Amino acid sequence: MIRTEEMLLNVGPQHPSTHGVFRLVLKIDGEIIVEAKPVIGYLHRGTEKLAENLQYTQIIPYTDRMDYVSAMTNNYVIVHAVETMMGLQVPERAEYLRILAMELNRVASHLLWWGTFILDFGATSPLLYAFRDREMILNLLNELSGARLTFNYMRVGGVKWDAPEGWLEKVAEFVPYLRGQLKGYHQLVSGNEIFLNRTKGIGTYTKEDAINYSLSGPNLRSTGVKWDLRKDEPYSIYDRFDFDVVTREEGDALARYYVRMGEIEESLKIIEQAVEQFPKDGEIMAKVPKIIKAPKGEAFVRIEGSRGEIGCYISSDGKKEPYRLKFRRPSFYNLQILPKLLEGESISNLIAILGAVDIVLGEVDG
Amino acid sequence: MLGWTKGLAYTLKQLTREKLTYDYPNKPIPLPDRFRGIQKFYPEKCIVCNQCANICPTDCINLTGKKHPDPTKKGKIIDTYDINFELCILCDLCTEVCPTEAIIMTNNFELAEYSRDDLFKNLEWLDENDENIRKVNKA
Repeated sequence: MIRTEEMLLNVGPQHPSTHGVFRLVLKIDGEIIVEAKPVIGYLHRGTEKLAENLQYTQIIPYTDRMDYVSAMTNNYVIVHAVETMMGLQVPERAEYLRILAMELNRVASHLLWWGTFILDFGATSPLLYAFRDREMILNLLNELSGARLTFNYMRVGGVKWDAPEGWLEKVAEFVPYLRGQLKGYHQLVSGNEIFLNRTKGIGTYTKEDAINYSLSGPNLRSTGVKWDLRKDEPYSIYDRFDFDVVTREEGDALARYYVRMGEIEESLKIIEQAVEQFPKDGEIMAKVPKIIKAPKGEAFVRIEGSRGEIGCYISSDGKKEPYRLKFRRPSFYNLQILPKLLEGESISNLIAILGAVDIVLGEVDG
Repeated sequence: MLGWTKGLAYTLKQLTREKLTYDYPNKPIPLPDRFRGIQKFYPEKCIVCNQCANICPTDCINLTGKKHPDPTKKGKIIDTYDINFELCILCDLCTEVCPTEAIIMTNNFELAEYSRDDLFKNLEWLDENDENIRKVNKA
């Protein structure tokens, strides 16, 4: 008789395809995963606790470091929460600059995901193409905010910088360029048999699962739920733009791929319209007191980030620091479904499933 | 059936494209004026108002002032000014609050040192850091 037994296998925390410091403890039976336990917290910095001793403006650079791949949306959620509490009216020009920055950042974030997701299967060239085009967005955002990733661009009541001279023209030029590139991306990857074999029908979950696990963003929309806060609960000035919510019905890794690729195109639509509608002049900052104090009370706002719904809860006792701050970090919630998805899968599918969920560990650990 | 050949065709097409990489350490990287690099400090402009030290989210700025040597003049002048670049996250808030623009960002970003002690920059060092200074400091 051959005696078999289960084995424990550690994936990570310093494994390149975990996209950060993330550890998975796997119980495996041969090639098949019996149980998977994610271990998180290696990147925990205690942003929420630190924020209790910081003024609202000082919290903004900390939010940059949560989801460092799309920091603009994090910047926005904190200033949006404080503005909601204070009842501030943000100038139109600032709103447009925010939208442009957020959507450009969403495209950059999805491009990074596209490159690394396919890199996980062993294809190196798509990563280089994705980074080539992402670099152009980072250069645009660098010109606007003075940093490539940790922008610290938004302020309570507006934005720090106005658009530099010629910047809008560059953005307008970039949109058709990337549209052309996207066609090439589909040519390069979407029809590739190896890629299809590795993603089709892998990591499938249903609509009910997605809702029960409180997934959001492309992870939710890949199951056919049409839910996008930019459309369903428009914040900022998203109600002025014409764009579609991309959904797929299959709920597998390939569906998530198509949803994200579709979202890049939708974001480009928004960018195009925002450049067209961009007000010729106007303020970029509302009139705000030098030391910002949120009135006593509490507020919760949520927005559509690149990875899902980012929420921000502020409880204030009227001081210049929040009494309690809480972020709903989409990567953390999206990660919850991973043990369920991995059960019964083979180890070679693990990387595809984890990659398709798209987590950023800075956000998971907070 | 032969989807991968399409991909190969795309890759071959890219071969003729212009090179995008920089020969970095030999050639400097062009950076926009707003880029946030290591700060430049003007001791003569500083009025010791402490606003930069107060706004700093990581508490990396330490400064002390002394009385003006000219007894007819009011106010203080700067005595010591240190930034600890082990902590500094180059968030730009110190330059944003400075009323006299005594502290300004530069385009210099190369901060790597062999010793942690060397990351502790004092007034003299920050004063001498006067290349690639940001031209427009406030929007």
